[in-house]
Amino acid sequence: MSNRITAFCCNYTLSASEAALKKEGLIPEGVTLRPLPCTGRLEIKDLLNAFVEGAEAVVVVGCEKDACHNLKGSVRAEKRVKHVKGMLKELGMSPDLIEMHFAPRKASEPLIRAVEEMSQRLKG
Amino acid sequence: MIIAERKPLNEIMDMLKGVSRLLVLGCRGCVAICSAGGDKEVEILASAIRLGCKKQGMGMEIDTDTYIRQCDPEYIEPLKERGRQYDAVLSMACGVGVNFIADLCPGVRVLPGLNTSFYGANLSSGEWKEMCAGCGACVLHLTGGLCPVARCAKRLSNGPCGGSVGGRCEIDPNVSCVWFAIHSKMQQMNRADDLMEIMPIRDWRTAGHGGPRSRRREDLLS
Repeated sequence: MSNRITAFCCNYTLSASEAALKKEGLIPEGVTLRPLPCTGRLEIKDLLNAFVEGAEAVVVVGCEKDACHNLKGSVRAEKRVKHVKGMLKELGMSPDLIEMHFAPRKASEPLIRAVEEMSQRLKG
Repeated sequence: MIIAERKPLNEIMDMLKGVSRLLVLGCRGCVAICSAGGDKEVEILASAIRLGCKKQGMGMEIDTDTYIRQCDPEYIEPLKERGRQYDAVLSMACGVGVNFIADLCPGVRVLPGLNTSFYGANLSSGEWKEMCAGCGACVLHLTGGLCPVARCAKRLSNGPCGGSVGGRCEIDPNVSCVWFAIHSKMQQMNRADDLMEIMPIRDWRTAGHGGPRSRRREDLLS
């Protein structure tokens, strides 16, 4: 059984559906993909709730910093991920259970790599 | 406004040991403006507590709400009855709200979710600075509008001290010397000579050194 990982990404950094990526064996079954109009829309409580709802780890994949469709969406998401890392620490959890990644438009590879990296982290 | 910040989550989780039903209660006053205890922060804290409970294997039912203000009796009136349904009410108001609930809601166990920090101004998004100490004896008319009580590390009435170097305070080079700023400001207004007058020794009773402070205005009393 693969680890339960929630992956948030924006519409601009996702080029295939969760089902298609799983069918191709590119992401493990335990991964839940949650596309958003923009990662800047992610709130701190959304990231925490992903853990509450059962995720062992969370990854966020947004546009490259200087190429965000909504200008600063992914930078905002990065700040919130950083904030949540601090909250996890306060709760005695590892801050490495959440990570922010930046990806070029319509490239699935960074998302796949981010998930793979987190899976390895959980196994390690 | 009153500036506050959330208590560390481990401290909050310790407070909540043995609590099965919890109300996280925000306030839409100052603490909402300084992003410490408004609707958004209530939801964030509730999520963090749920996660903390999950990690510690604690079962807890958590409700959330936000009152307009926790420092006026009419707004906390419903809590007198409602609060009894919970093992604890975690107030995300400043210390005033927590005290007021404790005073007015017998049988309700109220806990503080925030540390109340200071009276400050919003410098920019996410940045606040102390500007007033609430000392009860304002001297801003003598100091160009800049407060030596709140903004001088030594609370000097006749500064600057010998530790002021290049307009910076000796406690930290990132902190401005308010007396340097007062002098500059008074010079700009051609009033620097006013500073030659020695300010008398302060009476600190108005700052709370004479016990808890209160105020009554006869024309407003019902």
